[in-house]
Amino acid sequence: MRNPFLDFRSVPIRKKEIPLDRIVRAKQAIMDRIIEGYLALVEEEVKGLVWLVGQSHEVRTYNAALRSIQGLQYDQDDVEELCAELDSAKKVPYLISGPAGIYLSALINQAREERILLRLQDFERTFHFLGYRLPQGKTLILRGNVGDFIGASLAGGRLVVEGSAGNWCGAGMTGGEILVTGLTGQKTGEWMRGGRIQVDGRIWGVGQNRYGGEIYHRGRPIAPLGAVDQSQSEDDDGPG
Amino acid sequence: MSPENNGALRETVWEIHDYIRENLYLNRPDIEVKGVRFNAALLMSILTGLCQGKELIIGEPGLGKTTSAEYVCSLLYGFPLGTIWGSEVAGHPEQTEEKIIGRPDLGRLNQGEEVVVWSHFALLPVKIVDEINRLPETKQSMILDGVDRGNWEYLNDAIINREYCLFATANYQDRGTHTIIAPLIDRFDVMVESKHPGANLAYLIGSAGSDGRALRHEELEAAFQKVLGERLPYQVRMERIEELCAEFRWALAQDHGIRTLSRDERKAFRVQKAQIPFDLDFNAFLRLVLSELSFCHRFGQKRSLERCEEGCHFTGYLCNHLQNCISNRFPMSVRGFSQALAWLLGDQAVGLEHLKALLPFTLAHRLRWNEETVAQREREPRQDPLEIYMAKQGVEEMHRRYMEQGPQIKEALAVASRIMEGEPLEPIMGDHPIYWEIQRDLGKEGLER
Amino acid sequence: MALDETLREVWPRVRKKHLFPELPYPLCAEGEKRVGLDIKEKAISISREFVEGMCQELVEGEVVEGLLDHAVSHYLCCPWNLSTHLRLYGEAKKVLRDKEMAKKATDYFMDVVADTHCVSQKETPLPRIYRHLRRGVLDEAVHALYERIWGVDLGVEGHEEISRKLSRLPYLDRSRWGDSMKRFAKAIHPLLQEERDQGGLKRPGPMGGHRMRQYSKEEIERGFKDLASDSATPSEFKEIVRDFEDDILEANLSEDGSMGLGPGRSLDADLLYYMKLAENWMLPIRKMPTKKSGSLYPHHHEPWEVGKPYQDIDPWTSFGKIMPGITQMWRRLEGDIFGQWEGIPDCVVMIDSSGSMTDPRQSLSYAVLGAACACDAYLRNGAQVAVYNFSDAWSGGRQMLPYSRQRREIYRNLCHYFGGGTSLMVEEIETLHEGKVPDLFLITDMQITNLETLIQYFNQCKNRITAVHIGDNRHVATFRQSMALRKNVEAYAVEKKDDIPRIVLGKVRDYLYRETL
Repeated sequence: MRNPFLDFRSVPIRKKEIPLDRIVRAKQAIMDRIIEGYLALVEEEVKGLVWLVGQSHEVRTYNAALRSIQGLQYDQDDVEELCAELDSAKKVPYLISGPAGIYLSALINQAREERILLRLQDFERTFHFLGYRLPQGKTLILRGNVGDFIGASLAGGRLVVEGSAGNWCGAGMTGGEILVTGLTGQKTGEWMRGGRIQVDGRIWGVGQNRYGGEIYHRGRPIAPLGAVDQSQSEDDDGPG
Repeated sequence: MSPENNGALRETVWEIHDYIRENLYLNRPDIEVKGVRFNAALLMSILTGLCQGKELIIGEPGLGKTTSAEYVCSLLYGFPLGTIWGSEVAGHPEQTEEKIIGRPDLGRLNQGEEVVVWSHFALLPVKIVDEINRLPETKQSMILDGVDRGNWEYLNDAIINREYCLFATANYQDRGTHTIIAPLIDRFDVMVESKHPGANLAYLIGSAGSDGRALRHEELEAAFQKVLGERLPYQVRMERIEELCAEFRWALAQDHGIRTLSRDERKAFRVQKAQIPFDLDFNAFLRLVLSELSFCHRFGQKRSLERCEEGCHFTGYLCNHLQNCISNRFPMSVRGFSQALAWLLGDQAVGLEHLKALLPFTLAHRLRWNEETVAQREREPRQDPLEIYMAKQGVEEMHRRYMEQGPQIKEALAVASRIMEGEPLEPIMGDHPIYWEIQRDLGKEGLER
Repeated sequence: MALDETLREVWPRVRKKHLFPELPYPLCAEGEKRVGLDIKEKAISISREFVEGMCQELVEGEVVEGLLDHAVSHYLCCPWNLSTHLRLYGEAKKVLRDKEMAKKATDYFMDVVADTHCVSQKETPLPRIYRHLRRGVLDEAVHALYERIWGVDLGVEGHEEISRKLSRLPYLDRSRWGDSMKRFAKAIHPLLQEERDQGGLKRPGPMGGHRMRQYSKEEIERGFKDLASDSATPSEFKEIVRDFEDDILEANLSEDGSMGLGPGRSLDADLLYYMKLAENWMLPIRKMPTKKSGSLYPHHHEPWEVGKPYQDIDPWTSFGKIMPGITQMWRRLEGDIFGQWEGIPDCVVMIDSSGSMTDPRQSLSYAVLGAACACDAYLRNGAQVAVYNFSDAWSGGRQMLPYSRQRREIYRNLCHYFGGGTSLMVEEIETLHEGKVPDLFLITDMQITNLETLIQYFNQCKNRITAVHIGDNRHVATFRQSMALRKNVEAYAVEKKDDIPRIVLGKVRDYLYRETL
């Protein structure tokens, strides 16, 4: 067959490249791998698109997430971008809340930066399990409202929520600090063994089973085991 | 031809153009090419005459459709107006093959010999058909087939025109008259409207009239009539006609200072025109246009009887607004006319601007738009009839797409060229139909992304 | 004069570089020293003072070329048209929730895209202009971004974090502009707040702002039409239209009601929404019908062959000979003649706006859209339209518009929402007819309390009646049963509301275009 493109033989193929092309390409490659990791995690851990909360599930999922992200080079902007992709569901076909949050937490915990800020206020979905096992030396700032199990199993890190958190905030934490400027839901501090939770807004309910640690409401320590601070603000909404 | 001859020939054509514009066909300039303003009808007629093309001129009655063609033919081919009038075919349903092409010599027929008396229309290189849409389809087909090949046959005899051009006029294509059906209308290279010149020029025309008298010459017209009526071999007659044309040219130059073109000059023009190269942007843009006018993702190519799918990915492109597929005559027309325009402007290469200027006129009669697209456009304010206006809008849309991704398209074509030569490269993929067409040409058809 | 000379020299070069955009010749104008460009209806004008100011550092030709490159890139890359501009604005507004901040963010985003496109594709002096430009805080951040993504030195210090975040966005990928706009707006939000506190939000940037007036009227009409199609709800559309109301009024758009505007009146975004949406469903203007004449006449010649009949031989064209190859015969055909040009009847639209129907100002009402499509079709063919908008007519819950060709008034009546009970008064519908026999369109969910009255009325009507009802209930069965034998009444049930416009237009096409099909 005749070559109909012969006239263009002499056109140079290498076009003018600007750093943007390189940056976008590199970032795209990283994001693709990160998303691949998430999808692989979901496939491995989630049967029939249902993932039940249970400590062994979380631990297994977290370990699987760590394996997925091994060797990845990324930064906090990539983590925030993953949140955006999970929210928009364009590249990620489904968001399974638990594994998504644990995966994000794995990324946060393994990131190079010691201080990570995630701006979540404009997303439609709320993320759960953020700050899971946040280690000592790490600070995670979440701007916007977040879901359940925030700071679960916190391991010495500092977690700041500039918004409200859901139920089971700080569940099972062993050390570190959680600061919530808004409200928290039920079972706040359940199973906590150490560390400190400071809530400026309303606390809808404190966990009955606590083994250590401190919970403060507006700077005042809450009574231990079973007693709940009933002080309310008119502006508080119930947890989602 | 040397550059000096190039320039002299071009100058002559410009003189012809200017003379017609100032004295014969008074009308407003309505297009601009590289800063030069033209009246589209006059420009297209001159290019048609030079390129041996076929032009369809539409317009309201009395707006100079036929006369403009007559003047252009007279000055480009060196025939007096009277001779041209005598060769015109009028479009009415009772036209017959005998009146259009030729008839038997009755005297010889009675003696049992078949000798053809060719009509002036068949003999002369300039062919004007008035109101072609009033002719029955069979007659339209006969004329267009003949002009396509330059071949006229009757009663087992044939003549072959060495050079020829066709100007056909028509009323607007609406019901109540015959329409020119799609296969026939596709044979025209360009369609243009002869517009109303506006109140002020119309007043001038009314008071002074367009002075075609300079293009008359009774003696020579009689001489032409005699030669055309003689029973001589076709070649001999054409030589004599050429001599008479030379006399007419001389008379025009002497008496009125008007220059015309000889046969050799017209041939020289064709040689010069063919040497003008096309630049890569012309090449790539024309391919983009062809892809948008022929591509169909679902059905392989556009077909008149297949409707576009709703929600097709390619709704943003022209293929979604059209019913038919563009023919292969279109790139031939547009290339020839673009070269002619570049030659006229004295450019070294044929580029995007030449192409952009000509595309609407080469496309207007070849595109059949969807009803919905027509409904959306027909009420928009415009200066042209709907078909030409919609063609202009379509060209502008495609041009904007090319402006955005021209370099990528050229790159994609370059990569494709190398792949065809065996280099292990991956074709560049984009959204536009041209990229899909490249994939098909490379044999990677059916790739879904 | 020197600037004019420079422009004359530079413009053809810029045009060629950008592959001949369809833009008029640019002008030099007296302008601000701070702002280099203004674009009005595609006409670019360059500020003399700005150029003079920049000439202290750069050559005049470079400045002019850079400004033209910037303007042309806006035309051919971003925003390209008003639809894209509005779409980007919509995304920015979702994040920023403030009109002025969203406009500013959109302006900057479009500048970044256009400039990056230009720098990546062509040789341009734009970077040199930015190096010497006077900058505000936002400009500095954007120039820091340019340093990163263009690989040039613009003399900016700081703004590491924000330029890093912004450099990740795929500015040259048109399909991702929506997401990129959101992320861009999010990233520069703090800077926009700072700018707002300093009162600088409304000030255009050094390369000029982006106003409605830079588009032609046709582009604006088309832009709003696309926006209406793309908006999920009327409120989404209205929000954007209201934000640009000043611009639209300044651009002095058509006063024939096609923009929902009237002289001296402010924009009614609800009407505009349905007007623009209805334009997506258009029927062509009806053409004069033709029909066969019913008699044969000689149409053309065809060669006579042995065995064919003699009576149609034309002796003249056959030269008196009867022999194959010479003899011609007439072929007779029926002619096409113009048919009866039936007057287009007028149309009365009866639309239900009771509580069970959608409120057209809150959500997209397909009932109103279907009615609007029918009205447009009749208006385009020269007919008049009357509207009977009813809810509980007995209690005054109805609005009537007698025959009118005022598109705006018709839409106003269609969009009115009562939200009460459902009953209508046939006497009032009768008065709307004004002695004519119009086509009737009824769009309802058929939960009409005095349905029997309506049925009786339809039974005595000679009009062509089309009833489109949503859903199925016992009233529907009653209605269908009663109308079963009436040839002039057709009822259509719609399960999906978005079928309403299609059904209505189908009937209109049937009524108005039957002879021409």
